[in-house]
Amino acid sequence: MPSNLSISRRNAIRLLGASAIAGTAMTSGPGVFTSHAADTSDYRALVCVFLFGGMDSHDVVIPFQQAEYDGWRAIRRSFVARQGASRDRGSLLPLTRASRPPEDPPQHALAPELASIKALYDAGDAAVIANVGPLVEPVTRQAFEAGVAQVPPRLFSHNDQQNIWQAGAPEGAQFGWGGLFADAVLASGGNSSRPQFTTISTEEVGPFLTGRTASPFRIGINGAPQINILEEFADQTDPAFVNAVRDQLASRSFSGGNAIERDIAAKFAAGLDSNDFYGQALAQGMPSFSGFGAGPLSAQLRAVANTIAVRGQLSASRQIFFVGLGGFDTHSAQASDLPSLLRELDRGVAAFHGAMASLGLAQQVTLFTASDFGRTLAVNGDGTDHGWGGHHFVVGGAVRGGDIYGEVPPATIGHDQEVGGGRLIPSLAVDQYAAQFGRWFGLAPSEIEFALPNLNRFSPPDWNFI
Amino acid sequence: MVRQRLNSSPRKLAFASALAASFLLTGCDGEDSGSAPIVIDGPSITTGEGAFATSQSTARFLTQATFGPKPGQVSSLTGTSASSWFAQQLAMEPTLVEPDFDAYLALAEEEGEESELMFAAPSYVFWKQAINAPDQLRLRMAFALSQILVVSDAGGEILSDVPESMVGYQDILRNHAFGNYRDLLEAITYNPAMGEWLTYMGNQKADETGRVPDENYARELLQLFTVGIVELQPNGEPRLQNGQSVELYNNEDVTGLARVFTGLDIAGLDRQQYPSLVDAVGEVDDLGENFLRPMTFNDELHSEREKRFLNCFIPAGTRTLDSITQALDCIMAHPNVGPFVSRQLIQRFTTSDPSPDYVERVATAFDTGSFLLPDGRRGGDGSKGDLPPTLAAILFDPAAQIDQALDNAQFGKIREPVLRFTHWARAFDVEASKPEYALELTDTSGPGAMSQPPPRARSVFNFYRPGYTAPGTQTGALGMTVPELQIVNATSTTGYINFMSFWVFGGLDMLDPGEIEAELTELNIPFNGAEVASAWRPDYAAETALANNAPVLLDRLDRILTYDTMSSETRASIESAVNQIPLDDEQDEEGRELRVQLAIFLIMTSPDYLVQR
Repeated sequence: MPSNLSISRRNAIRLLGASAIAGTAMTSGPGVFTSHAADTSDYRALVCVFLFGGMDSHDVVIPFQQAEYDGWRAIRRSFVARQGASRDRGSLLPLTRASRPPEDPPQHALAPELASIKALYDAGDAAVIANVGPLVEPVTRQAFEAGVAQVPPRLFSHNDQQNIWQAGAPEGAQFGWGGLFADAVLASGGNSSRPQFTTISTEEVGPFLTGRTASPFRIGINGAPQINILEEFADQTDPAFVNAVRDQLASRSFSGGNAIERDIAAKFAAGLDSNDFYGQALAQGMPSFSGFGAGPLSAQLRAVANTIAVRGQLSASRQIFFVGLGGFDTHSAQASDLPSLLRELDRGVAAFHGAMASLGLAQQVTLFTASDFGRTLAVNGDGTDHGWGGHHFVVGGAVRGGDIYGEVPPATIGHDQEVGGGRLIPSLAVDQYAAQFGRWFGLAPSEIEFALPNLNRFSPPDWNFI
Repeated sequence: MVRQRLNSSPRKLAFASALAASFLLTGCDGEDSGSAPIVIDGPSITTGEGAFATSQSTARFLTQATFGPKPGQVSSLTGTSASSWFAQQLAMEPTLVEPDFDAYLALAEEEGEESELMFAAPSYVFWKQAINAPDQLRLRMAFALSQILVVSDAGGEILSDVPESMVGYQDILRNHAFGNYRDLLEAITYNPAMGEWLTYMGNQKADETGRVPDENYARELLQLFTVGIVELQPNGEPRLQNGQSVELYNNEDVTGLARVFTGLDIAGLDRQQYPSLVDAVGEVDDLGENFLRPMTFNDELHSEREKRFLNCFIPAGTRTLDSITQALDCIMAHPNVGPFVSRQLIQRFTTSDPSPDYVERVATAFDTGSFLLPDGRRGGDGSKGDLPPTLAAILFDPAAQIDQALDNAQFGKIREPVLRFTHWARAFDVEASKPEYALELTDTSGPGAMSQPPPRARSVFNFYRPGYTAPGTQTGALGMTVPELQIVNATSTTGYINFMSFWVFGGLDMLDPGEIEAELTELNIPFNGAEVASAWRPDYAAETALANNAPVLLDRLDRILTYDTMSSETRASIESAVNQIPLDDEQDEEGRELRVQLAIFLIMTSPDYLVQR
C-alpha cells in the first residue's frame, strides 16, 4: 500500500563509496563422498596470495656464497646496475636452514625488501618452498628437449598457467583445488549453516575457489557494501516498499528461460543475500588491527583478517581465502618495479601474521604464495621473460619454518633443471604443494586425491613443511 | 649508437613516405587513412528488409550496432533499409579522438597548472563521442577492436602520464575500423603506445652478455591478436588430434618471432640523454607528439638471425622493415586468423557463445573479404581481413535475426557495463557534452563502479576473456563462453546498482553545487556554473507524462530499453513497485518523476535488460 514516502525532502544520494561484498549462490547437490572424513572440529584457514604476472624468484631467493653470487650477478648485470646497492651481497638476507647444522654457511639469501618475512623465517613461522610449478609428471631436461615429456599445456601463457596453478587445467577449467577442498569440508558437514562463506576472495579469482558445491564469495576492502538507494528508501518509506524494490533487484520473481539471464539473476540474488549477512556479521564488532599499511595487498589481507575475526558470526570452521597482487610480469623495468612489489608483499604478509597472532590464531591460519610462473634467469635488457618453476613462501604458526624445502637449482644457464634461459623445470609439483595444505586443512587422503587427481604421478617428498 | 637515416634507401624512403603520409592524414585532417574502399555495387532496395522491419527489430539492431538506440532514431529508421544504414555508416566521416583531445589540451594549458583535464581527456572524449557521435558503427567497431587489441593506461605509468599515447592508439583503431585487419596489425605494431605497453619499444637483438629480445609482443601478437593458442577449424572449434587440441606453437616459435620486433623505438627522442622513457616525461616538450607518430627503426639493433615461427621463415640478414612485413604477412595468412578474430568480434556485438556455423559464416566473410548484404548488394574489397564485410556478416547473419535469436535460450550477451550507461544517456537525451563535469564518470574502473573503464583494461587480457566459462553456473555447465560473467560478482553487482541509481535518480541534483565547483577547482578543471547545473541531466518528459499509468509507462520503457522483450514476471514486479509510489494529485511532478526513475532503474538492473537477446 502507498507509503509515507516523503518525496519533497530527499537526501543526497550518496556517491559510491564502499565496495561491495560478493556472494554467490551455493548450488545444492549431493556430496561426492559417501563417507565424509574431513576433520573440521577446530578453525583452520588457508590464504592464497597470488602474485599475478609471474614473480621472478631468481631475484627473490639469491645465491649467497661468493662464487655463486658472482655468477648470478654477472648474468643479471644490466639490472643489478640499476638496482644499486640493494642487490649487493652485503645487502642480502642470508637464510640459515633448520635442517642443516648451524655452522653450515648459508647458500641462499632473500632480497632485502623481504626483511619482515625473513624475521618470520628466523622465528620459525615462515619457510621457503623451492622451485614449485605445474607438472603433469616428473620431467627431465632431456625428455623436454626431445619433446617426449608430458608437460602442462600452454606453458608460459599467463592466463592458462594461472588456471593450471588453480585448477590443473588451462583457461576454461571449472573446478579449482581450493574449491574441491571446500567441497570436502562441506560434505563432512562443516560450515553447514552458512556454506557460502567457505571460500572467499578479495580479487578476481579464476577457478581456484570453485568446487561442485563451493563457490567464492567476493568481499571488498571497505567492509560490506550497501545498496545506496535502499538505504535512501529505508529512511523514508515503509518496509514493504523497500522489500519490493529489494526483491526486484534480487530478481526474485524472474523465471525467463534464457541461460545467461538465469545465471545473472542467480548471481544478483545470491550476492545481495550474502552481502547483507556479511554486513551484519562485520557490524557485530571488528577488531581494529594495527600494522596494516595502505598498499593494495595490505588492504586485501586486512579485509581477510576482519573476516576471520567474525568467523563465529559466519559459522565458519574452515575457510579458504584468495588475495592477489598484480604487476609481476616484469618484461621491462624490473629493477624499479619488482622491489616495490616485494616490499608490499613483505608488509602485507607480516601485518597479516601479526593480526592472526593477536587473535590467537597463528597456528590455525596458513598463508602461501602462488604465481603464474617463475621467470628466466637470463635478462632481456631491463627485464625477464616467462619461466616455469619458482620459489614460494609459506607463512603461519603451523609451518615448520626457518628452512628451505626442496632444492634451489643453481643460478646458471645450462644445468639439468632448466630449459632455456634459466627457466626452471619445477622440482615440486603444484599438486604436491597443495597436498600438504590439504592434509593440514583436515582432508583425508582420499579427499586430497580427489581434489588433486594427478598427485599420484609423483613420489611424496621426504619432508613436510607443515 | 648509430641511428639509421630513414631515407637512406629507396625502399625505406617509400615506406617512410607512406608512414609520413599516414601520419599527416591521421594527425591533421582526420581523413581515414586506413580503410580500403567499400565496394557496394548494385541497386539499393529501400524497403525495410529484416533488421528494420519493425520498431522492435530496429531497436534491437541498433542495440547491437550502436551505443544504444535513441527513440527518435528507432521511429525514423523503422521500415527503411538496414543495408543502406550500414552503407551510410561506412561512408561517414570518421570521428577521431585527437581533435577533441586537442581542445581539452588547449583548455588545460589555459589553466596554467597541471589540470586533470589533460590526463583524463582520453576518457572524457570516449564518453562524449560514444554518446553523441553520428558514426556509431565505426565507434562500436573501434571499441570492439580495443577489447581484442588491448592497450591501456590503467597501469598508471607512462601511458597515463602522456595521454597523447592513448589518443594515437585509439585513433588507429578508429581509422582502421572499416579497413583491413592486416593494415591494422601493421599500424599497431609501429605504434609507440603498443611498443610501451607490450615492452618492445627499444627492444634489441641478442648480444654476448646473454641479453635476448623481449618476447612479450611476439607472444601476445600470436596468442591474443591473431591466431590464439590451438589450431582451429573454420568454425572456431579446436581441431582435435586423438581427442586433444593441437597447440600451434611453443616457446621456440615465440623466441623466433621475438627477433622480428627488435630495433623499433619511439621517434624523435634523444636516447643518449633519455635512455629511460620515464625520465623524458615532463622534461621533453614534444614527447606527446612523438606518441602520435609511428615508431622509427634502427637496423643495427635489429636481429639479423633467421626467424622461424609457426610455418614462417624469415632468412638471416633480413632487416627491420622487411622482417616485420614478412612476419605480419605470414601470420595473417594463417587459417586460424579468420575464425579466431571473427568469433571474438561476434562476442562484442551479438552473442557470447555463437554457434560454430555462425562463426564459420563470419570467418568466411573475413577470409574472402566479401559479404552479400540483405538488400542484394555485395560489400567488401575481396581481400582477406576486410573488416566491413566481416561486420556485416556478424550483424546480418540469420542466427542473429530477431526471430531465431529470441527463440534460442543460449543466444545473447550480457550488455557490457559501458554500453548500459551510454544506452541510458542516448535513450533519455542526456546532456553529454561535458564529461569533465561528471567526476563520477572519470574512473569507472573499480568494482564499486562499473568494472569496465574504457579504455583502461587492467591488462592485455581485457576486462574479461573471450574463452571464459563461468564455474558453477548454468551457462558453465552447458560449456558456453560468456566473457562478461567474468566481471559479475556480488561486489560488482552492488557497484553497478549503486552506479546506475546515482545517474538515473538524478544524483547530480542532490549534490551541493558549491562542493562540485570546489572539486572542479581543485582539479583545475575550468567550468561554467550554468553548464555544470545542466550537464548530464536526463530528459524524462515523455515518460513523466505517462507516469500515472504504470502499464503504459512500462510499455514505453520496455520498448526503449528492452525492445519489448521484458518478461511478464519482471514487468509485474516493477509495475507493483512503481504503483507503490503515491501521487498526491494529478500535478505531482516529483512523484511522477520518482515513478519514472524507479521504473528505469529497476528495468536496467533486471536480467531482462542485463542480457541483450
